Amino acid sequence: MSVRVVAVLVAVLLVAVFPMLAGNYPVKLLQEILVWGVFAMSLDLLMGFAGMVSFGHSAFFGVGGYVAALALTRWGAGGVNGLVLPALAAAVAALVIGYCSIRVSGVYFIMLTLAFSQMFYAVTFQVDWLGAEDGIVGVPRPRLVGVELGPSAFHLYLVAVTLLATLALWRIVCSPFGHVLRGIHDNEGRMQAIGYPVDRYKLVAFVIAGTVAGVAGALYAQLAGSITPDAFLWTTSGEALLMAIIGGTGTLGGALLGAAAFILLQSLVSSYTERWMLLLGLTFIVFVLMLPGGIVGALRGRIGFRA
Amino acid sequence: MLLPDFFSQALNGLSYGVLLFLLSVGLTLIFGMLDIVNLAHGSFYMLGAYAGLTMIGLTGNFWLALVAAPLVVGAIGALMERSVLRPLYRRPPLDQVLLTFGFIYFFEDLVKWIWGGRIRSIPPPDVFSGSVKLGGATVPSYRLFVIVFGLVMAVLLWVVIDKTRLGSIIRAGVFDAEMTAGMGINTGRLFTGVFALGAALGGLSGVIAGPIQSAQPPMGASILIPALIVVVVGGLGSLKGSFVGSLIIGQAETFGKVWLPGASMMMIYAVMALVVLLRPQGLFGRPLK
Amino acid sequence: MRLTRRTFLTGASATAAVVAAGPWVVESDAQSGPIKIGLVLPYTGVYAVLGESITQAMELVFAREGNKIAGREIVMIKEDDEMKPPVGVRKTEKLIDSDKVDILTGPVHSGILMGMRDKVHNSKTILIVSNAGADAISRERCSHWIFRTSFSNWQPCQPMGGWVAKNVSKEVFLTAPNYQAGKDMLNAFKEAFIPAGGKIVAEDYPKLGETDYAPYLTKIRQSGAKAVFAFYSGTDAVNFVKQYDQFGLKGQVKLTGAGFLTEPDVLPAQGQSALGIITGHFYTPQLDNPTNKKFVADFKAKFGGKTPDGFACQGYDTAEVIVRALKAVNGNTQDKDKLVAAIEKIEFDSPRGRFRFDPKTHNVIQPYIYIREVKEVAGGLDNVPIDKVADVRDPGTGCTLPS
Repeated sequence: MSVRVVAVLVAVLLVAVFPMLAGNYPVKLLQEILVWGVFAMSLDLLMGFAGMVSFGHSAFFGVGGYVAALALTRWGAGGVNGLVLPALAAAVAALVIGYCSIRVSGVYFIMLTLAFSQMFYAVTFQVDWLGAEDGIVGVPRPRLVGVELGPSAFHLYLVAVTLLATLALWRIVCSPFGHVLRGIHDNEGRMQAIGYPVDRYKLVAFVIAGTVAGVAGALYAQLAGSITPDAFLWTTSGEALLMAIIGGTGTLGGALLGAAAFILLQSLVSSYTERWMLLLGLTFIVFVLMLPGGIVGALRGRIGFRA
Repeated sequence: MLLPDFFSQALNGLSYGVLLFLLSVGLTLIFGMLDIVNLAHGSFYMLGAYAGLTMIGLTGNFWLALVAAPLVVGAIGALMERSVLRPLYRRPPLDQVLLTFGFIYFFEDLVKWIWGGRIRSIPPPDVFSGSVKLGGATVPSYRLFVIVFGLVMAVLLWVVIDKTRLGSIIRAGVFDAEMTAGMGINTGRLFTGVFALGAALGGLSGVIAGPIQSAQPPMGASILIPALIVVVVGGLGSLKGSFVGSLIIGQAETFGKVWLPGASMMMIYAVMALVVLLRPQGLFGRPLK
Repeated sequence: MRLTRRTFLTGASATAAVVAAGPWVVESDAQSGPIKIGLVLPYTGVYAVLGESITQAMELVFAREGNKIAGREIVMIKEDDEMKPPVGVRKTEKLIDSDKVDILTGPVHSGILMGMRDKVHNSKTILIVSNAGADAISRERCSHWIFRTSFSNWQPCQPMGGWVAKNVSKEVFLTAPNYQAGKDMLNAFKEAFIPAGGKIVAEDYPKLGETDYAPYLTKIRQSGAKAVFAFYSGTDAVNFVKQYDQFGLKGQVKLTGAGFLTEPDVLPAQGQSALGIITGHFYTPQLDNPTNKKFVADFKAKFGGKTPDGFACQGYDTAEVIVRALKAVNGNTQDKDKLVAAIEKIEFDSPRGRFRFDPKTHNVIQPYIYIREVKEVAGGLDNVPIDKVADVRDPGTGCTLPS
């Protein structure tokens, strides 16, 4: 077994047993990192592999979160409600939005996806039965196979879902489908000329990414016990972008690292200095400029201005 | 609706539209020339407002601030372009967009650091601090000034871009940067200049809007969405589009608030989504490749 | 040394063992150690002004007590919630789970309050709400463990309904931002305004964070209403009041509102545009009672001449409640039921009047809601009391507390 695989296994083990090693607050931070990591990974699939930069990815995060919150509070706390329904809802949303948006590309794609997620924000902010600006509170932990999840069981549930999502995305990225996506990212015209239905591939990638984002949103609603319209803001998408870029786009694992960096910066640094936003902005600027491969790229030795 | 009522609201729509124009014209220029959607454009607006606030505080003169603040913001824009954006020109344009996104956080916190987080008020110049009766409507004289100023700026920009040599150089650069360089024009300086101009226009809109809206650090991020929407509706890179788009959206927003109050949050996104779906290049934008 | 599987696993388990041992090594004695008071407030952003005011007043009271109660030191643990519910809830959890605070206070934002409510209730942590006015906390979402020293959104507005109908006009235009707090405030106003013979000419709810009120101000003028009752806070209050003046409405249609329209966090930016606005609030530094006079003097002395505002009064009362309750139980923070019982019985002289909790809702009974007018006083503009309504208690519909 290679060192890499062992290292990954040890990491997963440490993450899984973390509640036994640390207090509630660090565990909570870790859980947030996992959930945001899944969200950022789904965006990496879209951006790093398919080359589609979306500022509206939060739409699916929010849809997943709201559907989970509604289902769990109104229809009972089952695993289906907690994960399957939100994933389906997010997939449908991604299909619709993707179908409308993929006909344009580049900046227009950014704008259109941004508009859609902001529309969701506006609607959930105003509509009373969705909780209006306060959102939905009191979201219970899901019951799996009839068993209510205690804190350690919930932690393992989060780790398991994160692992599944990561493995699923990894498989997709390594598959022939994933290779076509990378080809499209590299040179769309060429792929089109060869005869690939580029738009259909992009749409499928968009839907997959949206579905996983929906799962992340559902997990978030269960973790936080609530969901607010802020989940739909374009700045939420922006934060996921930040995480993916800081971690390293096109690497999947980088997104998890980026999520860790962002959340630790936001939570820990803000306890010491009020200027954490400045630091975050600077960090991001430095990464885009000098570390285009993100943390993962730096670890692999790629630092410096790229021609 | 009675005619004087309609007229009042139309004037409101016009003043709002003109503000949107001043805000978005810089953004569209930068996109047109450099293919960058400068997400930090809202930050230029904010920096302009705060620079104006400080200058009025120092000199008590609004007109001085109106001239000086945009220059300051233009300088900041030039600095930003030369130091941080230029190395990214050979990279995919989306990298530049992402970089400007990082600047949003940076500038907002910088402003908070220097000026504090409190809400600040920018006083209008004394000569325009009252209101006038116009056709049965009572309009703050400052808003009339904004309308006139904005229309004059629009004409000025059109004259410069369309009728002067500098303008034709800019237009050439927008159309085909490589050819323009081949003709012996220093495109490096041209790009910096255009970016600085766009930034300065953003800063100018901040000073102008100041007496109507107040200044606070989150204002940069929140004004960005209306600016982006205007630019997309009008057509990225088109001055005419920015003008027409902002006037249309100004009226749509205003009458939307009057007739469809519940929908005011959604309105502007719905308009944009519609335009991008039906005519993605916007009203006057370049047809998409 | 080569990174073999064995070395890695050995190292990892050693690290894990050390980390696991950590929490056992440092354990404080909960009875003689410091009393930890948690504060979840905004310390950055536009609303940081409120966070500061509340905190400063609390520091004033604790300093007066020598920062000790029953021999135990008072430690304030402040966490910035940035006015964002996810951050606020996260910081709340940190304070409860990690810092193990004895009493929690805050927040400013009602969304954060609603988000933290279940965690507080389920963990049996005593929360003293020092600002957020969401009516629900005193109604269907009340809790045995939650007290509120500030106000419920209903309290400043309902008395204004009757007063405005009687003293200003019976034809009023209502306006507030389009969110729950806005609607709650205007509904409270209507509760008393309509039975007093008032007529609502029209209602308008601009979006929260609106910067250009022109269309709405034009509608107000065109409606023919003789007065306006408005609720806005923060930047919205500044923009609305300034534009109200710019559109020439200031002299023509009387502007009234909930106190937050003209509180000291927005009054400096509003300037002369705010002159003459009449608002309802439980406090103004102009109040002429001995406790307030001392409070204002002490506050100014400690904080460089700064005049306290309503938020500071809330902080003062929160700290007073904490001090008195803890003294009554001799510093015993372990017996929470006893502490809650002690808090319920508290009564003292506050800068706003005689302070009591309503046992039915754990919400403060406002000794008075003062009707104030913005006037020029020594040192600038301030809210001067011109009338008052006594004994205002939140109806508490739907709240069932164990007695």
